[in-house]
Amino acid sequence: MLRRWYCHRFVSTARLYTSSLCAQRKCFSTSTHCRFHATAVDEAEVAPLRKQLKDAARASRHQQVSDTNGKDQLRRERLKDWELTVGIEIHAQLNTSSKLFSRASADWTDVPNAALWPFDMAVPGSQPLFQPPVLIPALRAAIALDCDIRPRSKFDRKHYFYHDQPAGYQITQYYEPFAVNGRVTLTQQDGLAPEEGTLHIGIKQVQLEQDTARTQQHDEETSLIDFNRSGHALVEIISLPQLHSPQAAAAYVRKVQSILYAVDAATTGMELGGLRADVNVSVRRFDGATGNHSYSGVTGLGQRTEIKNLSSFKSVEDAVCAERDRQIDILEAGGKIEGETRGWSLSNPGATRRLRGKEGEVDYRYMPDPDILPLHIDNDLVAHFRSTLPPVPDQLLDMLRLSYGLTADDAGALLNLDNGTRLLYYQDVVSRLTPSSNNNKTAFGVHVGNWILHELGALLTTTETEWHPDLIHAQQMSDLISLQLKGQLTGPSAKKLLRILFAGEKEPVSVIAERENLLFQSMNDQEYVELANRVIQDHPKEVEIVQKNSKQAQGKLKFLLGQMMRHGDRNRMEAQRAEKTLRSILMP
Amino acid sequence: MSPAFRAGGAKIRNGIKQRTSLVAEEYRRLRLTKHRAVLSHIAEQETSTGRIRGPFQNVIPLKDNFVTTDLPTTCASYILQGFKGSDKSTVAQLLEDFGITVVAKTNMDEFGMGSHSLNSAFGEVQNGPGTHAQSAGGSSGGSAMAVADNMASIAIGSDTGGSVRLPAAYTGIFGFKPSYGRISRNGLVPYANSLDTVGIFARSLADVASLYKILNKHDPADPTCLTTDSRLRIELAALRRGLAPGETAGDNLHIRVVAAGDTSEQETDLTATEAEHIGLSKARYNQPRRMRIGVPDEYNIEEMHPLVRNAWTLYLSALAANGNQVVPISLPTTKQALAAYYVLAPAEASSNLAKYDGVRYGIPRSQQAPDNHNGPLYSHHRGEFFGDEVKRRILLGTFTLSAGAMDNYFIQAQKVRRLVQHDFNSVFRLAHPLMDASQNNPSGVDFIVVPTSPTPPPLISEVKRQSSLDSYVNDVFTVPASLAGLPAISVPVIPDDDMPHTPEKNVGMQIIGQYGDDRKLLQFVKANPEMQMNELMDGLRTWKKSRM
Repeated sequence: MLRRWYCHRFVSTARLYTSSLCAQRKCFSTSTHCRFHATAVDEAEVAPLRKQLKDAARASRHQQVSDTNGKDQLRRERLKDWELTVGIEIHAQLNTSSKLFSRASADWTDVPNAALWPFDMAVPGSQPLFQPPVLIPALRAAIALDCDIRPRSKFDRKHYFYHDQPAGYQITQYYEPFAVNGRVTLTQQDGLAPEEGTLHIGIKQVQLEQDTARTQQHDEETSLIDFNRSGHALVEIISLPQLHSPQAAAAYVRKVQSILYAVDAATTGMELGGLRADVNVSVRRFDGATGNHSYSGVTGLGQRTEIKNLSSFKSVEDAVCAERDRQIDILEAGGKIEGETRGWSLSNPGATRRLRGKEGEVDYRYMPDPDILPLHIDNDLVAHFRSTLPPVPDQLLDMLRLSYGLTADDAGALLNLDNGTRLLYYQDVVSRLTPSSNNNKTAFGVHVGNWILHELGALLTTTETEWHPDLIHAQQMSDLISLQLKGQLTGPSAKKLLRILFAGEKEPVSVIAERENLLFQSMNDQEYVELANRVIQDHPKEVEIVQKNSKQAQGKLKFLLGQMMRHGDRNRMEAQRAEKTLRSILMP
Repeated sequence: MSPAFRAGGAKIRNGIKQRTSLVAEEYRRLRLTKHRAVLSHIAEQETSTGRIRGPFQNVIPLKDNFVTTDLPTTCASYILQGFKGSDKSTVAQLLEDFGITVVAKTNMDEFGMGSHSLNSAFGEVQNGPGTHAQSAGGSSGGSAMAVADNMASIAIGSDTGGSVRLPAAYTGIFGFKPSYGRISRNGLVPYANSLDTVGIFARSLADVASLYKILNKHDPADPTCLTTDSRLRIELAALRRGLAPGETAGDNLHIRVVAAGDTSEQETDLTATEAEHIGLSKARYNQPRRMRIGVPDEYNIEEMHPLVRNAWTLYLSALAANGNQVVPISLPTTKQALAAYYVLAPAEASSNLAKYDGVRYGIPRSQQAPDNHNGPLYSHHRGEFFGDEVKRRILLGTFTLSAGAMDNYFIQAQKVRRLVQHDFNSVFRLAHPLMDASQNNPSGVDFIVVPTSPTPPPLISEVKRQSSLDSYVNDVFTVPASLAGLPAISVPVIPDDDMPHTPEKNVGMQIIGQYGDDRKLLQFVKANPEMQMNELMDGLRTWKKSRM
């Protein structure tokens, strides 16, 4: 039940107001907001998106210039002496219908402050009501990440003041998370450099927690707050510090996102803000004394810094890269790394910047939440989810390579395109082609892959069209491929037919092919001979050369063949038969 | 039914007009009093709109930390000035459903933090005039005074570490704190969630019981409110009272169980196995029994006022005279309990009160005084509008939860809390009904009787000379039951039958029961009418005679 009346009433009593200016902006889902005097506001988070993008474009132009001056080579050289260590915390919005501790809808809405129950705004006297359905995507995620699910977990309060955190604390699982000891496997396929081989990245824990409200800077003094997002269910996935390159860090985040998608645990990825990452970065000399820091049980590491709130794969890679270089610079100059929290913004992609140092570090004062009962998860429930879990990307990749005969590249492409809808489409088309008695999909797998990835892909690119499974009905696509495989469509005809279908033609493929005269009806021998004779008559010089069997004979034969193909009806001709006829006349 | 309820009930039967006039009369009494105990009240015309529709009729004042929709809810703090909830608290709703009108919101210590109701942003609560004004107790002092001053016959307070029992003792009325989780906290603005309970004030025990019956219900909106299942478990466990371990009744029993979460008593058919498991007969359950009363050594402290010690002795003597067995017991962790309480409650409070930042409700953030750039966000606002005691406890709690102090304070205090619970469990006859594998203790006690407070009500002028630490000591007798979540009632007693009673001689006796044993606790107080003032005298005389 949405309590819109509640919010509206609330608006009047609590000085929330509707800003017409804001309602016009499309970049945020906000228009009713709290007046709030921004002070400790993270500018990267609240700067208008348009400005951010402009700055980013400008900055990347600058970077291109500076990258060309050979510094890169030097950097690469000295990296040989240093080991980078990265641990990552990923926050992912769960695919649920309600919030974590209130029955308010978790569906996206563009009416600000509409999806609210009193608890979502920390109204005095309101209490957290755990929503058990939230466990479905959470368990799927944890199981897909190969975690052990704990039969009993608890919720804690993590305290800090910020205007997007109405209660003054976030409810999370600090002391006893619901899932521990997971693992993610990374290969070259996931974007690792070949020399990194296959990596197994440990997951320390996966915990349930609340999302914060959404903020938008209205002007110098005012932030607008939309509490719709406040209290959404997140999982925080904490990796062990086992990543050692910026590429691996980005690959890890990408892999986790694809796993969450595959098991339907998350609906939106980094591009829509459904996934955010904090990275911990440290460096140490390979040959020098080991560091004296330890994180999550990994010892001998250098002092780490944390970079908060990265919202794209590229920014993960770039931020790790920049922070690594910054730390090495300091250490090589005889300096010391401060344990601190750093920020990263699109507008300055060359460097991380200091947000707060250790002395300014927030003490979160974790406290067990006295209102929330421990969470008991039954073993049978876990077993059920384990047995009904959709395949994760690595399983899908194997399946596409082994059962469908796709190359690793094509299989990878299918998996990563269009949130998996291209893959579903692909499987649909293959199954329409494969007779039900036949389980062997390799016969068609490669072929269908070509059409859907390359032919259709080229069309999408040239016309700048976004993929949608309804662009060409799977039945039409399978009919098209079937006709071609049966030899009833030549390659060029099939491509022409594809363009017609792509333009939106909904009639059956056979009807279109007939109408457009695309079906292949072979010319008979008589017709080939007639055509050949006509060409021979028109080109006596070339015929002479061929018949003399001189050096140029082969070339001239090809020329005559070309003439035949040009003058004949292409849709009914086969080059091999034309050549055969020509040869039999000229070189009997 | 108490006289107050009976009067209302009689009038109801005579028709609507009289009903409303009674409310109006109550209202006029309220308004004329112009008591500092009252922070806000409904307009007179609202009382004559015929809201009353319950089987009995009455009006009730509510402590100002229960959210109401037509009256503001401030918790006696500037920071919540003007706040009106969109949903009323479950307690307010249950009362309204029963036809009881919430006529006023009563004064209190800000957010429940205090023992004398002096820490209010909107003026102190006093018992008596001028320099002779004595403490009404706290933090629910406003509600207690409303009842003590005859403005209403019943009132609602909240009890975190004694906030209902202490004012009841100081003002000479009944104050009942049920087991933790019995009454919904939904809409009760939390001070310390793991200790907060809804409490009842009344001038008669019958009124306490009637009101308790209305409020003692499961509420899905409060995750810590006992579920229907747990309530049933508690009822079944209570049936085992008096059985030796392993003793069974064996018959196929049909036991009458008061179903939890329901106002009506329900017949519950138990299977033969269940009945055997419970192992006792209906007859045995219903049989009135003399109770065993525990008197903990640790409560007999040096600082106890002679009047209180005298009252305690007389009261125990009266109970013994009535056939109950009085035995000494030991609750060794009692001394540490107060310290643990003053670590745990502020810790939870510092967390609960973090939400008051002036952004969403309450008094608005002042625009002239923004905090430093990149500095703390809300410290100016919170510094300006929280009272001193609230700030003190927030700082205390913030410290005890901080990374460096957590292990030495918060964790230690939680351990002490466990020990306190263990102390109680080891002396009660009944096993804790919600703890698995705990056995009844045949030689245990049914109830513990101790004074509610070590002293009679102090003068307000005296209290003001005390440090805040001194005033924390007031809670020394009430805190242990809070830490263990036990039901406890403060009963007014006469400390000295040789002299006429006066308010400065108010003393309360506290009767504490095993967790969930609320109903039996009230029955016990009722079955020993000597506790009530006049009867107490008679009882005592009988007892004295029998000794001569």
